[in-house]
Amino acid sequence: MRKLIAQAIPSAHNILLSNLVRSAGGLSRENWSVDATWTDDTGSHSHPLMLMRDAAGTLLNTEREREFSVLKALAHTDVPAPKVFWIDKLGSCLGSPSVVMERMPGHCDYMVLNGSASLDVRLTLARAFTGLMAKIHAVDWQAHGLATSLGLPECPLGKPSKQVQPEKPSLQELAHWESEYRKAQLEPHPELDYILAWLKHRAPAAEAIVLVHGDFKPGNALVDGGCITAKLDWETAHLGDPLEDLGWVTNPVRKREHQITGHWERREIVAAYRQLTGRTVREADLLWWNVFSCWKLSVIQLTAVAEFVAGRYNRVFQTPSWLYRPMFQMMEAAETAEVSETAPSAEIERSLP
Amino acid sequence: MRPSIEEQLQGTCRVLETVVAPCVNDPMARTMLDGLIANLRMLTVALPAMPSFLQQDNETTAQLLLVLTNSLPANLQAQVIDTMNKPDPDPTDVAALDAYNTSLRNLLAQAVCIEGLSADQHRAIVQHMSERASRVPMRYVATSPSPPSSVKT
Repeated sequence: MRKLIAQAIPSAHNILLSNLVRSAGGLSRENWSVDATWTDDTGSHSHPLMLMRDAAGTLLNTEREREFSVLKALAHTDVPAPKVFWIDKLGSCLGSPSVVMERMPGHCDYMVLNGSASLDVRLTLARAFTGLMAKIHAVDWQAHGLATSLGLPECPLGKPSKQVQPEKPSLQELAHWESEYRKAQLEPHPELDYILAWLKHRAPAAEAIVLVHGDFKPGNALVDGGCITAKLDWETAHLGDPLEDLGWVTNPVRKREHQITGHWERREIVAAYRQLTGRTVREADLLWWNVFSCWKLSVIQLTAVAEFVAGRYNRVFQTPSWLYRPMFQMMEAAETAEVSETAPSAEIERSLP
Repeated sequence: MRPSIEEQLQGTCRVLETVVAPCVNDPMARTMLDGLIANLRMLTVALPAMPSFLQQDNETTAQLLLVLTNSLPANLQAQVIDTMNKPDPDPTDVAALDAYNTSLRNLLAQAVCIEGLSADQHRAIVQHMSERASRVPMRYVATSPSPPSSVKT
């Protein structure tokens, strides 16, 4: 870390690091908190920092450079996110690719919407999460140069560039995650192949191309005094379909994280999102993204299985068979929703473990 | 034979929980230990259920492949028939049951993606896969992350 700071700030001296602690969480990479002080040409500095470092084994193959460029861009927006300091692209200083950012105030609790706070506090927070999603989707990615660093959606499913369908970032995401699936696959998974074929056949067009967080959940945010102080974990951010994030949070298998039963459910989230963004949000399209979310989650779990078997990952995951039935039911519901725009989530939720 | 495999696994969980875990103060190591114990507990139940699960799954997968056979291209059809004609594995040989299961599921993975399957065939596929998902003995065991901290965990 001293080497990284010295490289980034050539005049830095008296670089002191203290309170280095690895956080217990962080399934896709190592998260370290550390306090740094140094003196340079501009004076003395003291910063609470977070170091995000690629782990030897991971359940999510991500790029530190992507996270770094997004955080740089977000510094010029009203999206609450940590200030990013430095990147070690190749790991020449820190052993593996890493990003160093400001340590923000607040607590991280993936179950905060169903925790011990009063219903009013939790509802306010739930609305704030949807508001934050709308705010991220409103980021002017062209003005902030994110098309260059993230790339525009194109080249779905290996088609020649002449046949690109930029209005269907769904196909690009599917191609990306199919590639991850094939890399992680240790045995045949007819269920995932069958669902993949369905997803390819029914990929929806996007209403808009926006900055997508890619893993939008309360567990990736810091909350302080009932307010969101920072949205974290931008390593899967990309330009794509806004329904990708909305599909992730309305996914019935993640209901306990994203929803408050009887008060803040799929219907309320979608209504709030429509109101905030003015977008249509077709139910059949959202169901496609719900299925995609589960399929992607399956691939992430299979990646963890492969890494565990290879001896590079220290947590045990299983083949995600618990996700299959909800996916089949949503596939059926999506076909019904082509005709009727009724949210058919009750039956799906009943099937969950 | 005593202690049986299940007794040994359960005893190992008990010792890890009551003797080892209280001494593990590092949050990262404790989170991992909790996950490993939960998974070991799942395995004590899953392990004895595996042979009968594999045997039943091989039967139902073979039945589904027969339902799909007529819609498959000739080369895949030939592979299905070839696999079906092999003698059933010894029901007490878990490794053989598992290998046969992998062969059948490999064929099924190809068969279910063939275009032009009928609505009845699609229904049979979804029914088979849904029922199988409800029977799988080995399941992911979620464990709570470490308590919230002042930094991102």
